Amino acid sequence: MNAALAGTAPLLRTTIHHDGRSFAPWIMIVTALATSSVLVYPWIFPTQQDRAGLAAAVGANPALGLIFGPAYDLSSADGFAAWRSLALGGFLVALGAIFLVTRTTRGQEDSGQAELLASGVLGRSSRLLAGVGLAMIGSLLLGIVAGLATVLCGGAWESSLLLGGTFAATGWMFAAIAAVTAQLGSDTRTANSLAVGTLGVLFLLRGFLLSITAPEWTVWANPLGWMTETRPATEKNWWPLLLAVGFTLVLLTIAFVLQARRDFGQGAIAPRQGPARGRVRSPLRLALRINAGPMLTWTIAFLALGVMFGYFTTSITELLGADSAVTQLLASGGASSDALVSVFLVTVLSLVGIIATVPGVQTVLKVRAEEMDDRVELIIAAGTRRSRYYGSNILVAFAAPTLYVLIAGAIVAALASSADIGVDYPGAFLQAVATVPAVWTVIALSVAVVGARPRVTLVAWFGVLASFVLTLLGPTFKLPDWALGISPFWHIPIVSSVDADPSGLVWITGVTLALVAIGFAGFRRRDLAR
Amino acid sequence: MSANAVIEVEGLTKSYGKFQALKGLDLHVEQGQVHGFLGPNGAGKSTTIRVLLGLLKANSGTVRLLGGDPWNDVVNLHRRRAYVPGEVSLWPGMTGGEAIDLLGSLRGGLNETRRAELIERFELDPTKRGRQYSKGNRQKVAIVAALASDVELLIMDEPTSGLDPLMEKVFQETVGEAQRRGATVLLSSHILAEVEILADRLSIIRDGRIVENGSLAELRGHTRTSVHATLEHPPAVELLTSLGDVHLDGHRLTASIDSPRIGEAMTALAPYGLSALTVEPPSLESLFLRLYETTDTETDAPAGAGR
Repeated sequence: MNAALAGTAPLLRTTIHHDGRSFAPWIMIVTALATSSVLVYPWIFPTQQDRAGLAAAVGANPALGLIFGPAYDLSSADGFAAWRSLALGGFLVALGAIFLVTRTTRGQEDSGQAELLASGVLGRSSRLLAGVGLAMIGSLLLGIVAGLATVLCGGAWESSLLLGGTFAATGWMFAAIAAVTAQLGSDTRTANSLAVGTLGVLFLLRGFLLSITAPEWTVWANPLGWMTETRPATEKNWWPLLLAVGFTLVLLTIAFVLQARRDFGQGAIAPRQGPARGRVRSPLRLALRINAGPMLTWTIAFLALGVMFGYFTTSITELLGADSAVTQLLASGGASSDALVSVFLVTVLSLVGIIATVPGVQTVLKVRAEEMDDRVELIIAAGTRRSRYYGSNILVAFAAPTLYVLIAGAIVAALASSADIGVDYPGAFLQAVATVPAVWTVIALSVAVVGARPRVTLVAWFGVLASFVLTLLGPTFKLPDWALGISPFWHIPIVSSVDADPSGLVWITGVTLALVAIGFAGFRRRDLAR
Repeated sequence: MSANAVIEVEGLTKSYGKFQALKGLDLHVEQGQVHGFLGPNGAGKSTTIRVLLGLLKANSGTVRLLGGDPWNDVVNLHRRRAYVPGEVSLWPGMTGGEAIDLLGSLRGGLNETRRAELIERFELDPTKRGRQYSKGNRQKVAIVAALASDVELLIMDEPTSGLDPLMEKVFQETVGEAQRRGATVLLSSHILAEVEILADRLSIIRDGRIVENGSLAELRGHTRTSVHATLEHPPAVELLTSLGDVHLDGHRLTASIDSPRIGEAMTALAPYGLSALTVEPPSLESLFLRLYETTDTETDAPAGAGR
């Protein structure tokens, strides 16, 4: 071991001890995702007819393909598990690995822990190696646990282990990506945003390109596409995992080279001199200022989402026509082609809405982060009413996602109405507008949490998670209406239908107002954290 | 209660869950004073200050700040006072200059001439971003922001803990100037030297209560001076009633006495053939040590003495 890596082994042990625990929830979630698919499949879809129905339903709503990728085989439990958990599980592992690497490298530099460590006998590359090592061990463990658990729950040996292998490989690749972004950004937040942004783009591109049957090279250009090509239930290809290992090694090399060249606590993106005088002079301007970076990124993301989803919508008739099961479903009566298109549009726009809740919740949680960093006390101590401070931030938390939904909605509506699929611009745009109240409800939950019960900030994400799971997975699992109704997105009316009932929006807006009121009352009354 | 009290706290209690941080604290700061607020770590200094700032809600007791209630009259009060925390955290992407202007305008504007002058005297680079500043420089940003505003009350919680000695001197000068402008200053610290230079009056907090309170001279008066003497024919210990803690080791006597009564000690010892005498002057440090070391201050400390 050379000098640059001295002390890695003891550091890795301490890191596992201190930060290893934070990876455990990711292992549990992904394992639950894979095993539950195998467990519930025979129970919910006992007959061949049910399974054909599932395939038809999935085929009839290509929006699902954006998230889950193509369904190669839904007639077996393994195929169902592979479809439902490969992409989503991989996404979650990747998130876990990114957070872990950033936290143990850049995060330690920010908090000053790293300086303490650097003053000990420690090579300059040891910390990065320990962080990446922890994430890679964690991902591997996750793959093994998820694979074996799936076998125990009734999955086939090879399919289940290959599925676990894709989880581990995805974790490795994104640990390496995070190792690079931790050298580029000069603080935790920038490093995390860069890595998660890369993940998001690659993830959506894979779903999109696979759904529209783009040329094959587009799959191979995307590391996440390699994972899809393992096809754990059908072709059982192991060799794409080798591509992932190669990709990991190349990126890690780049990360170590970058790390050796940069100064401690700095990033490759060097900080510039700033203005000596400030123009930010009110809590609202401050809220806009501290969220400006993410707002720019998310605006670009939603422009891209709008184009992608809109383009996707225009090809709906081909997508539907290509699937014989859907034709059967149509033939058996029940749903007209127009109704299918409407449902599809609602799903796509709900998806836009659910994604838009993420930056909203982030903005609200930023208030808590500012509080924990003792920056709220500076503002309050300078004579700002608490309600004004919280209100300014909440205004941004509600307004920005609204703007995102409307941007993406306008683009989707423009593209959808230009194609000959029976969608007009006002109708489609109005559908996007109707999605906004549901977005607000999810964000309002985080307002209540941060205002009244800030110790349980994780609950703030509950709304996002519940909306996502219930909207996308609920219907395929034939959940009862009361359960589906937990997601505010379930209450969005189909505005193009004759008997559209807007009363659901009134209800969820009532919930929104109540949650915001709880949040304000709590924030006014509670002690500010030290 | 005095009519020109800027801070009046009576019987303040505050608990965090089961832990009682403040157990009936009284604090009085008069207008125009620099009031030193001393105590060991964890005694409750920051909790008291955070109640005064309206960041924490008191469990019981009355708190008046500039004649108002800091929890309810946020805007009116807070514009009239400024705060310098001990651990200054700035917005990572915002420059020091921007932070100074933001805090200044929230407080209702700042004095431009003084802002420029302070930046120069503290040798602060206002174009650096929050994440680039060292601890000391972040503190300078908060100090400049506070001193550049025309406020009536400055509340400072260990404001110099990251400053080098030169900057500490600048800090002392600027606080002195603020006092001459008529500002009242509550200065929490555990650096004795700083408080000795700046403060007119002191309150010493321990374990959630004020255990000593008074002017520097008064507190010095409370300190017991130690007396070391060599006596030709030492008397029985019981005869030396005017002295405390008397200890005789052959001809050598050690004892202590309240500082204003040193003369009495001389008179008492003179008849026994005084051949050598050392009187150790009282220091704030010895007072400090005495207060900190006593385990049961609740019973024997002269709480509220000198008021």
